[in-house]
Amino acid sequence: MATLGVVPSVPATGGDAATPRPAGEHDVNRKRLARLGWSFSTPAFLVIGAFTIFPIGFSVAMSLSHVNVSGSGFSLNGFTGSNYSTLVHAPQWRYALGFTVVYTIVTVLVEVILGTCIALVLERLTKGRGLMMALLLVPWSMITVISAELWGYIYDASYGVLDQIFHAVGLGQPIFLGTPTPAIVAMMVADIWKTTPFVAIIVLAGLVMLPEELYEASEMDGASGWTTFWRVTFPLLRPTIALAVLFRVLQAFGLFDLPFVLTQGGPGYSTTSLAVLGYQVMFQDLNFGPGAAVATSTAVLVLIGCLLFLKVFRAQVGEEGS
Amino acid sequence: MKNDKKQLADDNGATRRAVGKRSRLVASTAALSAVGLVAGYGSAAASSGATPHAASVTTITWSASPISTSGPDLRKVLIANFEKAYPNIKVQLISAPTNTDTNESQLETQISGGSSSPDVFMGDVIWPAVFGAHGLAVPLSTKFPKSFFSRFAPGLVAGATYQGKVYAAPFFEDQGFLYYRKDLLRKMNLPVPKTWEELKAESLQLQRAKLVKYGFVWEGADYEGATCDFMEYLTDAGGKVLSSNGKSSALNTPAAVKALTFMRSLVTSGVTPAAITTYQEPQAMNTFDNGQAAFLRNWDYAYSASQSSGSKVIGDVGVAPLPTFQGQSYPGYSNIGGWNLYINPHTKHMSQDLTFINYMTGAAAEHVMATQFSEIPTNESVRVQKSVIAVNPVLATVPHTRLVARPSQTPEYPKVSQAIYQNVNEALAGSESPAKAIANASAGINTALSGGGL
Repeated sequence: MATLGVVPSVPATGGDAATPRPAGEHDVNRKRLARLGWSFSTPAFLVIGAFTIFPIGFSVAMSLSHVNVSGSGFSLNGFTGSNYSTLVHAPQWRYALGFTVVYTIVTVLVEVILGTCIALVLERLTKGRGLMMALLLVPWSMITVISAELWGYIYDASYGVLDQIFHAVGLGQPIFLGTPTPAIVAMMVADIWKTTPFVAIIVLAGLVMLPEELYEASEMDGASGWTTFWRVTFPLLRPTIALAVLFRVLQAFGLFDLPFVLTQGGPGYSTTSLAVLGYQVMFQDLNFGPGAAVATSTAVLVLIGCLLFLKVFRAQVGEEGS
Repeated sequence: MKNDKKQLADDNGATRRAVGKRSRLVASTAALSAVGLVAGYGSAAASSGATPHAASVTTITWSASPISTSGPDLRKVLIANFEKAYPNIKVQLISAPTNTDTNESQLETQISGGSSSPDVFMGDVIWPAVFGAHGLAVPLSTKFPKSFFSRFAPGLVAGATYQGKVYAAPFFEDQGFLYYRKDLLRKMNLPVPKTWEELKAESLQLQRAKLVKYGFVWEGADYEGATCDFMEYLTDAGGKVLSSNGKSSALNTPAAVKALTFMRSLVTSGVTPAAITTYQEPQAMNTFDNGQAAFLRNWDYAYSASQSSGSKVIGDVGVAPLPTFQGQSYPGYSNIGGWNLYINPHTKHMSQDLTFINYMTGAAAEHVMATQFSEIPTNESVRVQKSVIAVNPVLATVPHTRLVARPSQTPEYPKVSQAIYQNVNEALAGSESPAKAIANASAGINTALSGGGL
């Protein structure tokens, strides 16, 4: 939030500095500065253009074309909207969309709650905070494909540790990755295990920045710990949490590596996320048009979701301010 | 281990001496008449062992998924033999994923992206239509002379053909087999099951006697393998996937529902572990090789794996054709599998690639595969050798089996198969009734064939 406030003030200060100078000099200066600015940013623009804008543009173009795949690459043969109508009418896409949305909401919610709790504990730790932080970062620093393989061993229905534990405790032997609901839950647990530390670190950074005086004041007013958290800490943490949520939503919506390693989207298509579906359609069926439509629509949907979230969130912050 | 290797080397030497004459003859004929092939291939093929261009060693890359799961690596054994025969070609192995779907999409992405590596790739028998239709493999019939293809057992070249062009050289053939525990059946005085119902009953008997944890393990995960297994029950029950003109689904019949209902009943009765919904070939083999199952449905290499060090059932495994449903004539249908060798259209080493394929499908290499790795050779001259059949019980079973192929002659096959295995897998997990799953699969196949849907 803070950064949003700073951005518009940059041209304003520039203008202020130039005001006392004669008009002509101002123009020359500005042109020279502009030229300098452009020349400095050209390499960055080129890189972004080549590696971000072009692929995105190409993907959008592909999603709106009849695409042919051959040994010498793709060819786009004429405009069509059929890829998107195929999507909307495909039950797999509707399921994948629903699954991805539910998965994102559940995992991000749990991660934010758990992560905030962990951050609150960490902030109060006087001894061993560094060690705890390091330990906390282990899951986050692990490559997802590798941690997914490890979870695969844990969940394995023949020789998995969890399978044995459930059996020993008398909870039966659920086939964690081979039945729909347990597979979805198992995947969520693996995701939460991995990314809660990320949320915790971000929230901890936010906590450390909070002004000490407010806590002293609320203590003097006799507020309980609970009240202090809801009345002081949480409102002040909102921007930080919003940032964490935003990062996580963007990431969770692109869910691919966990289902790819653990279930291949199965059983049936119960863990087929939008990204896995896109992969299957594009690279297994070589249906590049509809595949690009899956990718593009996913990006657009998550963008809309994030913008809406930011808008609602800003409105809330605004209300409290007034 | 050392002794094994020495033994292996000796065997190879003997093989080469025994079959050398024929393979050299075939090789040189191929080389002389091959279209557009120059000195590199011709001289190398004709003078196996000699090094006319010792200075220029070319390295080609070969992508292949692991074939043998225990014991020596078949791929490395064959590469070593090849490099010995052709010292001026080095082969770099790229180990591909064991999941055929992942393997396929990786290759498709690489090749359509213009990569010149791998030069040669080992691909599933169901790929020629997809790779041919999209120009992702070199039509070998334009590179090799006609005479080259006469070495293969009947029917194999037709399976590698799409719209009149041969896109692959058959490397080893495969089909479903029933592996059983001889010791357990003997203990309970049971015959080798000839019907699925019998197999289920015997499994329950063995399980109740606490002789074994599970009755029957096979492939039921959410992938191509589930289509293969389902095809067998389906054909046994009298059903089929596509209508005779290949343009629509013929799946939604009582026969198909019967097949899938039986598969699910294996799970509900406890004969098959519920984890079958996550089983691919390696998981099924591991369970069987650990002595935890009485019966196993798997491919030809499962035999040699069950007899390699680490297995707990060495000497106790028998091979038989698959059973069928009661009232049908024995044996049941075995799904045709197997792997081909394809060439990447972007390769920069065409003549070396052809030499490599010529060698790998030649008598020497095929003999090694058949005698040491229980593979079914594609090379007819090896397949009929009595000495080969004598040491390969799987090969001895082949003449008694009945085959069914997957409907892979359409470039839409990946989607057709996906519709099958996703719904079969759902039914096995119990989240969909067999009848509903068959109806869904049938609808999915029709969508795929019409070119619509995802």
